Amino acid sequence: MEIPLVEPGTVGPCPVAPDALQGIKRQQTNPARWNGEGWPDFVLTLRAAGIEVAESAATRGIFATDAGGTAYGLPHGVVVARSADQVAALLKAAQAHRVPVTVRGGGLTTEGESIAYGGVLLDMTGMSRVLRIDADALTVRCEAGIYWHGLAEELRRAGLDYLSAPLNMTSSVGGTLGVGGIDVNSARLGCSADQALSLQVVTPTGEIVECSDSENAELFQRVILGYGQFGIITEATLKIRPYTPLSMHYYYYSTLREAIEDLQLLDSNDASDYSGILTIMDCAVNLLVAFDTAEREAAFKANWENKLRGHGEFGFALCMLGHYALRPWKAGEALYLLKRKQAVFPEFRRAEFHRDGRMDDRTVVFSRAVWKHWGSRNMVIPDLATSADKFIEAVERGNAVCRKYFRHYTLYCVGIKLRADHAPHYEMSCVPPGAEGWAYGCEFEPMIEGEVYSRDYFQSFKNAIYDIGVDMGASYYRFGGMMKGYIRRVFGDALVDRHLAMKRRADPAMILNRDVIF
Amino acid sequence: MYSTAHPREYPACSACSLCRLVCPMWRARRDPRFSAEGIAKARQNGVAAADLADVLDACALCGACDPVCPENIALTDMIVDLRRALELPADLAVLHVGYQQAAAGAAAAPAGALLLPGAALRADPALLARVEALLGLRSADDDGADLAVALEIGADIDPARKRRFLAAVEGRSLVVGDGLLLRELRRWLAPARLQGLGEALGNLPAVRRRIASADFYVIEARAYHADHARLVAHYDGLRKEIGCAMNLDLQRIAVPPLASGYPTLRMGPSAEDLAQARWMLHGHQPARILVENPAERELLRRVSGLPVLHLAELAAPNEVMHHA
Repeated sequence: MEIPLVEPGTVGPCPVAPDALQGIKRQQTNPARWNGEGWPDFVLTLRAAGIEVAESAATRGIFATDAGGTAYGLPHGVVVARSADQVAALLKAAQAHRVPVTVRGGGLTTEGESIAYGGVLLDMTGMSRVLRIDADALTVRCEAGIYWHGLAEELRRAGLDYLSAPLNMTSSVGGTLGVGGIDVNSARLGCSADQALSLQVVTPTGEIVECSDSENAELFQRVILGYGQFGIITEATLKIRPYTPLSMHYYYYSTLREAIEDLQLLDSNDASDYSGILTIMDCAVNLLVAFDTAEREAAFKANWENKLRGHGEFGFALCMLGHYALRPWKAGEALYLLKRKQAVFPEFRRAEFHRDGRMDDRTVVFSRAVWKHWGSRNMVIPDLATSADKFIEAVERGNAVCRKYFRHYTLYCVGIKLRADHAPHYEMSCVPPGAEGWAYGCEFEPMIEGEVYSRDYFQSFKNAIYDIGVDMGASYYRFGGMMKGYIRRVFGDALVDRHLAMKRRADPAMILNRDVIF
Repeated sequence: MYSTAHPREYPACSACSLCRLVCPMWRARRDPRFSAEGIAKARQNGVAAADLADVLDACALCGACDPVCPENIALTDMIVDLRRALELPADLAVLHVGYQQAAAGAAAAPAGALLLPGAALRADPALLARVEALLGLRSADDDGADLAVALEIGADIDPARKRRFLAAVEGRSLVVGDGLLLRELRRWLAPARLQGLGEALGNLPAVRRRIASADFYVIEARAYHADHARLVAHYDGLRKEIGCAMNLDLQRIAVPPLASGYPTLRMGPSAEDLAQARWMLHGHQPARILVENPAERELLRRVSGLPVLHLAELAAPNEVMHHA
């Protein structure tokens, strides 16, 4: 058998099943483990500089997998980040000794992007302090390894809040700025990465550089939404705002199309402060709408609520009763919906997180629910990100794939307002090419529910979703790691090669997060 | 959903890191090894207890990790069990023997409902007398302090001693001062008959009406986390009613001011305790601080410079009417 030579950093044809799944070439296994050449000298260099390198199983094992739980790998050693100077020294040594550096924040990747297949794992959560809060300018400077929840804890002591962040308490600021960060207010405020005003970045060759839209703008463009390829974010200055609890409303639909149309109606008219869709399969489609102020809520009720086609909880229950009464063979599905409702709904209504009918801490409420009712040791969450006009088709096609592969699943849809002045940031990112005004994303998450599926089964499912993206000219939130075989198909060789050339200039030894994109 | 109702063990850890967010030892070090997650992942990789000794010794057993774990893993149990596999530090072993000897010579418990004050409250006889008067309870001479120490340091508990203690208190209503002992008693006895000291005092109208909106109320973390699902509503009600600040984070987990290992057995606060207490109070400007755990008073006075009162010091005993 003749196996063609492949240039390092590119993805060659799949030798396993090149004609499977519409011929999409893909990488469905862990990257090869780095051979360890140069590791002892690298460690000696770091230790001489006073940097602790943990090589014990107790430490390395913490990082054996990521939130996805389908990829596994162990670093040769772990360094807990403590300062930009320390990170710079580490990267200089890594360039000299050609040691791979995998950077990890919250470790919430699902395709193995934050797993080290040998080399050194740099745990950024060691740099997780708030440095300055400017309540007048409404900005915060923090170390980039901080969890958004940790940031919220400090901001709330001053009556402040961040603008938007993933609905997951253990996402880190640096990791989020590197990939996007979607909140239920992203349709109004944009993705989390767009909230960054400036960054301190350690380049792959170990220079410590401050960057923003006006200072070292090219580096800023590449690092924001750059999937960790062009530098390590060590500090970030973010916009913040006064804290407000929010009032939440839920509308229930039995079709995805109507719910998405109404979501987009609200988003395009700035009718709500928060919006998103969360489903139980395609049977119970919940459009959530929320407000920071009573004025905005009143305006919505006066102008927009009667235009929504969704029902309240009681009305929807009646609809479902009628629907399943005429379809007794679907009793199992009805029972599942009821059981799911009984388990999940109380999580969103816990009294200790509400005051006077308003929700105090949306991220805590959502994140607790996500981990408790969606989390498991395997989290497989392929997604599609499209322009607004393609979104309904993308969701309906993805939904059909979910139906084919799993008994139960959840869809999570949200809009992302785009900043025209940040178009260079969006290049080769989760923001789909051609999207203007808003992009929309949908996550397709099967409910594992204690079942055992092979990794190949998960991979086939993900490929089937990702094939839709290729077909429709979409993008993905999680296109790195094990899914990087899609990058050239989605973005095209010209764009990918241009970024690869930039990466080679910035990272001559190609050591920084090398198994993620290139 | 992966979780099931019953407590599970370390193999179920999926490394969500939610326990890190509430872990005092992680907060002090920002090192992934120093967290329940770090211990669980180390165990998944075959690491022995002896190789985790520094981490296990650093844990305050505050129990904050238990209610936040989405996999319902009994994380504090995991740490207590692992401590049992470590060699006992000599000073703590001596301390344990002292408590055992005191328990062996204890008088029989008086009839009826009992107060099990625990070592911290017993160390302040005036406060203990006040608590007894307020609650209308008599203290048991044998309050299980030796069992609490054994749980804390990972010493073996003699089954005969445990049987003797339980036989003396079984079937009675108990108010328990030691949070770690209360946690264990909830398994050994009917939970409905058990109350923590803070909850019992906080339910007294004479105490409750003297808590002011300008107070900072410090919940005893161990007792709170041991019965979190129920007590979160109790304290939320108190907070809504009075409007005082509390040592609760955004997840409604208690931030313990005493945060280093063996917090009730060491002499004086560590640098870690001081930093943790400052963090607990950061951003708050209370007029005074109220504590449920007497052992926390000195630390909080030192850090804040404010009056620090135990709940029992809020009301005069003669204000409280008792019913048999």
